[in-house]
Amino acid sequence: MSQPDRSKLPIRQHRFAGTANRTLGGSQPDWEAIGHVEPPDGAPNVLLVLIDDAGFGNAGTFGGPIDTPNYTRIAREGVRYNRFHVAALCSPTRAALLTGRNSHAVGFGSVGEFSTGFAGYTAFVPDDCVPFPRILKDNGYSTAAFGKWHLTPDGQQGPSGPFDRWPVGWGFDYFYGFLGGGASQWDPCLAENQKIIGTAAEFYDEENPYYLPDAMADKTIEWLHAIRGQDAKKPFFAYFATGCSHAPHHVSESWAAKYKGKFDQGWDKLREETFARQKALGVIPADAELTSRDDAFPAWDDVPDKLKPFYARQMEVYAGFSENADYNVGRVIDAIDELGELENTLVLWIWGDNGASMEGTITGSFNELTMQNGIPLSDEMQLQLSERYGGIDAWGGPMMDPHYSAAWAWAGNTPFQWGKQVGSHLGGTRNPLVVHWPERITETGALRSHFTHAIDVGPTILDIAGIPMPTHIDGIEQQPMHGVTFADSLTDANAPERHTQQYFETIGNRSMYKDGWWLSMKTARIPWVLTPDAIKPYTPGVWDPDQDPTELYYLPDDFSQAHDLAAQHPEKVKELRELFWQEAEKYNVLPLMAPLAGFFGMVPPLPETARYEFRGDVQNVLSGMIPRIYNHSYTITAELVIPSGGAEGVIVAEADHLGGFSLFVDDGKLTHTYSMMGVFVFRQQAEEPLPEGEVTVRMEFAADAPKPATGGEVTLFIDERPVGKGRMDHTVPIRFSGYAGMDIGRDNGGVVDLGYENRKPFAFTGTIKKVTFDVNPHPSTEEARETHKAVHHGHTAHALSA
Amino acid sequence: MKLHDTIDVLIGGYLSKDAAEEDYNAVLECGGHLQGAVIVGKDLEGNLSVEQTDHMVREGAEGLGAIGFAVGLIAPPAVLATTAVGAAIGAGAGELLHHEVKEKLGQQAGETIPIGGAGLIVSYSHSEAEKVEPAVTRAVKKAIGEAEGRHVQALKGAIADAQQKMAASDA
Repeated sequence: MSQPDRSKLPIRQHRFAGTANRTLGGSQPDWEAIGHVEPPDGAPNVLLVLIDDAGFGNAGTFGGPIDTPNYTRIAREGVRYNRFHVAALCSPTRAALLTGRNSHAVGFGSVGEFSTGFAGYTAFVPDDCVPFPRILKDNGYSTAAFGKWHLTPDGQQGPSGPFDRWPVGWGFDYFYGFLGGGASQWDPCLAENQKIIGTAAEFYDEENPYYLPDAMADKTIEWLHAIRGQDAKKPFFAYFATGCSHAPHHVSESWAAKYKGKFDQGWDKLREETFARQKALGVIPADAELTSRDDAFPAWDDVPDKLKPFYARQMEVYAGFSENADYNVGRVIDAIDELGELENTLVLWIWGDNGASMEGTITGSFNELTMQNGIPLSDEMQLQLSERYGGIDAWGGPMMDPHYSAAWAWAGNTPFQWGKQVGSHLGGTRNPLVVHWPERITETGALRSHFTHAIDVGPTILDIAGIPMPTHIDGIEQQPMHGVTFADSLTDANAPERHTQQYFETIGNRSMYKDGWWLSMKTARIPWVLTPDAIKPYTPGVWDPDQDPTELYYLPDDFSQAHDLAAQHPEKVKELRELFWQEAEKYNVLPLMAPLAGFFGMVPPLPETARYEFRGDVQNVLSGMIPRIYNHSYTITAELVIPSGGAEGVIVAEADHLGGFSLFVDDGKLTHTYSMMGVFVFRQQAEEPLPEGEVTVRMEFAADAPKPATGGEVTLFIDERPVGKGRMDHTVPIRFSGYAGMDIGRDNGGVVDLGYENRKPFAFTGTIKKVTFDVNPHPSTEEARETHKAVHHGHTAHALSA
Repeated sequence: MKLHDTIDVLIGGYLSKDAAEEDYNAVLECGGHLQGAVIVGKDLEGNLSVEQTDHMVREGAEGLGAIGFAVGLIAPPAVLATTAVGAAIGAGAGELLHHEVKEKLGQQAGETIPIGGAGLIVSYSHSEAEKVEPAVTRAVKKAIGEAEGRHVQALKGAIADAQQKMAASDA
């Protein structure tokens, strides 16, 4: 078969070159006309694995405390990279990884949920920067993505799309996973291809409950078997992006129990132990130094003894969760091996996308979204709330959405400073990479220290597959990829280091790398602090980025960034600062702090829609797409038909007991339960049962004032008659859940009111004709504008920590 | 028992009943002489529970249950993520109730205690404060009231004082 022109995609279909007479007589078939595009000869399968929210010093393969036997196996048979870099935040790294371009240049300076009106922060990939999965697909690969996506903006995660922002639009034939930044591992609101499919049926199987990491591996293996059942040769590209180790840290007790007592020594000692193992393994240079603890993290010795078991348990669960991820990736690799294809499968396995996450704040949290909703809770409060939901032994189970302490994350980033969101330091920007390809890699177990970055992965895969970067896709001229191939370093330790210059920027924390020098420019804000005082210094016209403190490191001599040379080399500081500004302009990084624009009055136009109608069969409306009921008055009205003998069940419910609301009928009575992030739970019930026949019920929340977290009065109505009331002192200001959906007529997944937990999903036994949200029942224009601003602040806050 | 005494009342608010029980047991075992201790909790399904140790009742006097009071709870965090993340941890102040029986206490407490929360009320002679107060280590919100007088009068006064302090710290 002739080789097609791959410079323009899609590749033009083969034009019939046979002969077609009036009859078969003399006619000549052209069998290429019924073929399909095939990749270049020898193009390998590719498995790209991305672990979430993990640090350089987590996996045992790189000296960490977590057993990762599969990662170690792959490393021993492949090569390890100890200077691989990421973008210090989830979506930016993923966008860079899948497009081969700097994250801001493809609209992902911040997370996928959050779009602003600046080019670097739209969360929309420009059509001249098409992701490489599409290139592989159009060149004859089977492509699939499993697990976390986090590249679709809020508001576009439903059945009306647009789907060019979904995995299928990025070039994946098949997708199974979740669209957001994090998900429960027990009851995620799943997506498959172009549909939100909600909670898996197995969630309701108490003997064999659903567990997302297991299901991801199952689905991947099933997909591999299916494509091989159809085509024995077609290479595949599988992108396996775990929800682990992002919060909520969910894992069964058998995995967490393996680490019982393993972290009683605390985070300071853990860092020292990890550092020693890293030296012994040779994954860091012998002269590397362990960086010191910033005052933002408490010393373990200062933690009250009575709270140490609580903190230790947080890390035990994280470790078990992470080891489970290793186990499930191992299952996928074993399946490829069983197919007899591991020899010619290029496995790239990145352990972490932005360093370990410090978003649990110092205390850690029983519910990861308490931080995003700005609920200040002391460690004692966190402990008590975990007791409320089963105690620390239940940390990791379905009753909580836990996140560990920022100090554990810092320890997970050993030997570096800081972590996720801090683009100025290696704790947030350097993660382990292991590459496995038995057919080509002969120097097994080798270490590579080439400066590499997520944007290099795409060019490397295309290089290895022999697929050129197309000049045009769908008729649109493509920007070149910003990354460079490091394919030759797989087999040649002396291969040249091509990636010599790189900017980093995440929420104002920025750095400039060039030829071994690294200029760090960190803002003073602690990543998990979003108070007005913390934001205020970045007010437009007040903040001068060039006045931020700078640190200068020379990485060839200082692997971990332990020695600040800024004072000795002011000319290098100046040079790199100027270079950063040039790069920032070139790649749409500007304006700095664009993700904070909402705090400074730059909010999108006021939405016009104030009424949302849902018919009775609507389910799995993702949490970022529910009607905007936060911080002001609203009503929920339902038109029902109650059969003879009465009805029970959920009329409408959003999310679960850790944040959400449910309007339901129990014991014949209209009931409303509202969980303020599991910290406060409010319940109101009608004083009389619902009548039979057609009836209209309403829940009316009259806010004290349109302001964040406003309290207010709830009144329940039956056919305009008040039948119950109650007060809610606090409401959720930002977001009920990072993942759980809203359902009409049932409460899918974890339930809001634990009183009907044993009847879940507690489907409504009458008929729901329509549920209407009126989110703007009272306010003046000015109030509406203020509320909109507050909501957008909240959205911004969520975006800073998703 | 003396007719005149200085009575202290400690009110503690908790986010879990486990924590309240831990303090409750610690108070009972602290070695100090208590005039009464009440723990009131509400589980996640909204069911109320009341436990009461009332020395004064045993002694034939009018005790906590008879005076009756529900807890000042809890610590509504100031939830102002982006405009003012305050630290206002504070309860809706403890509201004294004046009922005569435990059931009534429970009923009233049920209206004031949040789902999943709990409260502890302990009364003791002021002379026992050094033994009692250190035993309460887990309250996320705590106030101690004090009053002098005939014991029932003093008890009422101490409760009122504790509630006032609880309310003041919410502000």
